[in-house]
Amino acid sequence: MKLVRPYPKQLPNVVQFHCSMEMTKFDIKNYLEKIYNIPIVDVRTNIKVGKFRKDYGKGYIVKDDDIKCAYIVLPKDMTFKYPDLFEGLKKEDEESMKSLDEAKKSFNDYLEKNKERTDVPSWFSI
Amino acid sequence: MHLLKLNRNIPKFQLWTRRYSHAVLHDENEYTDTPVYPPILDMSLQGRKLRERQSVHEKIRNLKTVEEKQIALNMPRYYGWKCVMFNKNRIPYNALPMVQCYTRTHFKTVNSLPDAYSETNPLAEQVVKETKSIIEDIIAVESENVRHIHNNPQEKSEEQLKEENITKNIVRQINRVICNKLADQLPHVLSAQIDYEPRHEAFWFVGGTDVPHNVIQWRKQYKWLHDRLEEPIDRPVQYIGTPHLAVRSQLPLKPIVPYEEATNPDFKVPKFTYVPESVGYYTEFRHGTNIPGFWPGDYDEFGLLSYHGRDHMLSRNESYGHEDNINALHSQALKSSFGWLLAQANYQGFTTYNDITYPLVTQTVITNAKLWSFYVYQMNTITMHNEQMDENPKHNICFGTTPLQLYDTIENGQVKGLNEDVLKMLVQFYLNAPEEREHDMKPYLGKDEQLIADIEDDNKRCWLESTYKHLVSNRPKHNLIPEIYLWERIYKIQHKTRFFEAKRRFFECGINPYKRRLNEHLPPYIPKALREYPRSKKKFERTYYPDV
Repeated sequence: MKLVRPYPKQLPNVVQFHCSMEMTKFDIKNYLEKIYNIPIVDVRTNIKVGKFRKDYGKGYIVKDDDIKCAYIVLPKDMTFKYPDLFEGLKKEDEESMKSLDEAKKSFNDYLEKNKERTDVPSWFSI
Repeated sequence: MHLLKLNRNIPKFQLWTRRYSHAVLHDENEYTDTPVYPPILDMSLQGRKLRERQSVHEKIRNLKTVEEKQIALNMPRYYGWKCVMFNKNRIPYNALPMVQCYTRTHFKTVNSLPDAYSETNPLAEQVVKETKSIIEDIIAVESENVRHIHNNPQEKSEEQLKEENITKNIVRQINRVICNKLADQLPHVLSAQIDYEPRHEAFWFVGGTDVPHNVIQWRKQYKWLHDRLEEPIDRPVQYIGTPHLAVRSQLPLKPIVPYEEATNPDFKVPKFTYVPESVGYYTEFRHGTNIPGFWPGDYDEFGLLSYHGRDHMLSRNESYGHEDNINALHSQALKSSFGWLLAQANYQGFTTYNDITYPLVTQTVITNAKLWSFYVYQMNTITMHNEQMDENPKHNICFGTTPLQLYDTIENGQVKGLNEDVLKMLVQFYLNAPEEREHDMKPYLGKDEQLIADIEDDNKRCWLESTYKHLVSNRPKHNLIPEIYLWERIYKIQHKTRFFEAKRRFFECGINPYKRRLNEHLPPYIPKALREYPRSKKKFERTYYPDV
């Protein structure tokens, strides 16, 4: 079973899983209750049709596997928020992008300044 | 040839000159003492669309008869609205917040009935004393000594069916006993109509909710909608229920709280924006219907009391817990009370777009013959579509009790420990006398024509009657909705692999069958032999769809 980001937007006490096609509602309930000690009120499942896509480089159409989605309803006073896994990474990404942007800008400035004298080396200036 | 041209030009010329002279005359009166400006209109796309919708609401308001308004509500959809279904058969976990928001109801749990009922106390006690022994007998006999034979339909268990049947019989008998007791003292009980398992249906729009996934996907196709992906939409809601018994009278009940209280911010209901599917409700394509258990034209058009069963509680999961079961009962009461009142309001000429101008009240009992819960519901507003959801300051109010036990056990054919207070509450519901109101009850209906039965024109009356009845029967259309086959979805819509083929299917011609309007069909053909004498070229019969 794989915990996934709830989509479409679900109630705060609903958790969404992708699980094996063979699992029944009872299996899902027992699995979560017995192994992870999660109080479960209700389990709803549906089977999502896999995506149809053009096979890369081949051109014909193939279908991805179907997915069984399980919506676990927790007691209404409990809430579950899907963790934002890439929060720290995003910041780092932004910082590196910033420095890259600055470098690009200074290079563009340099080009702009020297566009009239293309053959002159960079050290030759006042 | 030239003459002919000249001749043709002459009238035009005259028109010109006349217009011109008129303008000159008008000039003298052009100035007024205070400047008069035309209203400033919002000319953005949203503003224009809003005005369009408002003009439709105005047109529905101006329609003269009840049935025409109902047809008008369904005009935009040939194959019906995609309704969120409020059935009583299944109540999902944690249903109350959504039902409260969708019916705009503030719910108050009380231990006894509101103060308005206190004056009928002595009479109720007397009635209870006199009818107690009969009711004990009824309960004992009906619960144990009657064998019920029923074909078991798939959706209900044997246990549920048994409870349903016992409740139905006991409710009918208790109603008969109390009515017989009170009929000679109270005229409103004598003249009241009693419906067994009537058809209660109601239809309304709820706005301000989250947009479903498929709508967002549709909006993503168009660049100009990209900044409006999350703009809320109206969700049509349909309530369908059958109470065991309903009592109605010619006059409406008195309001429980004054009408001015409706705007009280204490009664504000928290907004519930999640899609109904995430709670566990489902949707269905159907025409919206508003039926309070009778057809338009009945004299007894205000509900006093309705009894609902609670056999669906047996099919609930044990893991939901006791507290949620009680909340489920509350939500059932809110749905059924609001649904019945809304249908009654529709017969008074109000619709989900045109708000009621006075409060309506009903009383609801939910019972399985042993446990009884009592609800008093006051409806103050029915508009909650997209534009009104946040702006409408009014809210509905419901007072309700938790399930109370009428008796302890049945031993040797004798009822033990009958709780007289519970019986008294029930009798007080009957004693609550309806009253004539001083204001106009049907402000949005015509003066002479309030029903289609009042229409003089035979053709129009018959056509509207049959169309209305056919519409609310919700039978499937003769031509079902066109289908997109899976291979077409894969190879023609999702991936354009067959672009060289002739585009003949409806989705290739840009036709959206769900957007087809109700009047977009050929009217019945008139055979040549039946056409008017001498020569009539009219091939098709006339239709009388309301112009909205």
